[in-house]
Amino acid sequence: MEQRNNKLGWLFTSPYLIYSVVFFFVPLIWTFFLSITDWNMIKPKFNFVGISNFADALQSPNVHAAFWNTYRFMLIFVPLVTVLAIGVAVLVHGLSRFKGLFLIGFFLPYLSSGVVSALIVKGLLSYTSPINTALRGMGIDIDWLGTPFTALFIVGLILAWKFTGYYALIITSGLESIDKEVYEAAAIDGVKDGQRFWRITLPLLYPSLYTTLILAFGVTFGIFTEVYQLTGGGPGNATNTWQMEIFKQAFSNLQSGYASAVALLASVATFISIFIIRKLLEVWGKRNGWV
Amino acid sequence: MKKRNSALLMVTLSAVMLSACSTGQNTANDNSNAAAGGVTTIEFWAAPNPTQQAYWQEMAKAYEATNDKVKINVSAIKESPTSEASIQSAIAAKSAPTISENINRGFAAQLADSEALVPLDTISGFSDIVSARDMTKTLEPWKFADGHQYVLPIYSNPMLFGWRLDTLKELGYDAPPKTYSEVLEVTSKLKAKYGDKKYLWAKPDLADPTAWKRWFDFYMLYDAASGGNKFIEGSSFTGDEKAGTEVLSFVDDIRKEKGILSRQVTDPFETGTGIFTDIGPWTFSMWDQKYPNLKYNETYALSMPPVPDDVDPAQSKTFADTKGLVIYASATKAQQQAAVDFIKWVYSDAANDAKWFKDTNLPPARDDLSTNEAFKPILDASPQLKPYAENVPNAVPPMDNAKYNDLQTIIGVEAFNKVVKGEIAPADGWAAMKAALEKALK
Repeated sequence: MEQRNNKLGWLFTSPYLIYSVVFFFVPLIWTFFLSITDWNMIKPKFNFVGISNFADALQSPNVHAAFWNTYRFMLIFVPLVTVLAIGVAVLVHGLSRFKGLFLIGFFLPYLSSGVVSALIVKGLLSYTSPINTALRGMGIDIDWLGTPFTALFIVGLILAWKFTGYYALIITSGLESIDKEVYEAAAIDGVKDGQRFWRITLPLLYPSLYTTLILAFGVTFGIFTEVYQLTGGGPGNATNTWQMEIFKQAFSNLQSGYASAVALLASVATFISIFIIRKLLEVWGKRNGWV
Repeated sequence: MKKRNSALLMVTLSAVMLSACSTGQNTANDNSNAAAGGVTTIEFWAAPNPTQQAYWQEMAKAYEATNDKVKINVSAIKESPTSEASIQSAIAAKSAPTISENINRGFAAQLADSEALVPLDTISGFSDIVSARDMTKTLEPWKFADGHQYVLPIYSNPMLFGWRLDTLKELGYDAPPKTYSEVLEVTSKLKAKYGDKKYLWAKPDLADPTAWKRWFDFYMLYDAASGGNKFIEGSSFTGDEKAGTEVLSFVDDIRKEKGILSRQVTDPFETGTGIFTDIGPWTFSMWDQKYPNLKYNETYALSMPPVPDDVDPAQSKTFADTKGLVIYASATKAQQQAAVDFIKWVYSDAANDAKWFKDTNLPPARDDLSTNEAFKPILDASPQLKPYAENVPNAVPPMDNAKYNDLQTIIGVEAFNKVVKGEIAPADGWAAMKAALEKALK
């Protein structure tokens, strides 16, 4: 019986195991191997270069920029998308009809291509676009994609627009799961309307918020399409990201070994950052008695 | 049982990993399926655009009709994520073609550096192609630092500058200015008349450090100012400091006159926001469709790059936007020879180059483009192509250094982009760029 269960267990887990081996373990080990060589995938021979790719990457201004820009994007994107998603969720939750329709409407940007949205924004922010012409008429002349802060902000804004609907769905489901009786009981206990959100909704929404925050922080480590289309990582290195740097080194400079080292550094930075963020969120939740 | 399953899993994992760790290389002789039944099959990868693919398909079909011992499969290079990366992946996966076009000199240097290419001059019949096609002079600057020719240029666009002639006429000029001081004079008159409505050079790429963008601003001006100095030769920095500083000072002077707009603008030259820009012959078919109001020698004129005041404008050189054919080392000897024979057949008849020119607007890389009768009808029908044809021998191809992406990024990051934005003095920019280039070349 035990042996039969064991076989069945292997059978059911085999798709995941095979998937993990093919799409995770093999590429991971392959990346490790590449990162200690100077191979560009074309040369008939490769040289083992030890940790020199890592040492070069750690000294590269492009990699430094990618590292810090991730946190700059976090500072812009995470608060923006969280506030917007909560706002959308609260508004939609309060509707008596067509909740689903509105949620789908907000979710649509998530399904749209990052290339298309980036190109539309590029057109809107063109120097000769009606928006900029009107702004210049009012004496406001901003080089949106040519100034470090505005370029960062624009990319953060596009991402927030894209992900708001998705996170709003998660938060809405959290709101839906809060029992109305809790609010009724709180009202009897004298909780005022203005305190309801902070005292009841937010604590009970914590599990959904935790999920969306972790997802949102994770997004900032994978930014590529919008930056590639809008700024190419510029001006200077102001919007360079991990993915952008890996792409440039692997596919423009054809330095597969170096790009693999950058990819591994990015993985380590992502893992450590998300780990710390998770811990901080858990401490925050526990301190407030939400978990 | 558990142990057996674990062992099986480990063996499978190891096998998959070991197969992935293979360098994926094979020798020319391993590729044995090339010649079957006495017929040699070659794979030809054409540039990823329908016109060029159709041209090579037609050539292949015509050649097969004259030679039943060769079969040529023409397909387009995939562009995901880039055509260079597709070629790199194909070589790694042992599925490289026999021959491909659309290869620039810098990428060819990367491939040659990795022993992925055959030196064309070592294959019998190559010198016949060069003499029959009348391209000795055009081919000369393509020689690599090791003395070999790895690329046969197909076309060579001497990049020219376009001027909005309609605006120039409004400012009192009948022809484009040719020297730096003349250009600056036009800029100050333009700004006096139009203020922020028009700029001399409106182009977002001027502030963008992407490597290839320097071909169409810095290199065009630098080639003209330096008389075609190679800038980087092999792994040595050979830049002409006087010429380079003059180029950067010229750009800085235009900026000071508020003649540069490096902000995001759609089609600034076509809409008249800018009156000066680099133009390749591929532009004209787009203009025919989208901007039919632009007429050669009416609304726009073409010129070689402006030169410093102490340089003769008639001696102006420019950047050659040029790409060519390479033959891959992974092909068998028979395939390599068949590929050269095919190319020899194509270029033995100037009519084939004329067809290319007519179909693509891209000037064939020949010394006799402006004198050979075969091209006269095309140039007569499209006079805007004449200055391109005339300047093929005055065009300098890109560097042959495998690190060209890094090196050209340095030009932008350390000097050109900063000068455009007024962040560095021209001489300081040149010094910083030179130091960074020399460090990168070590």
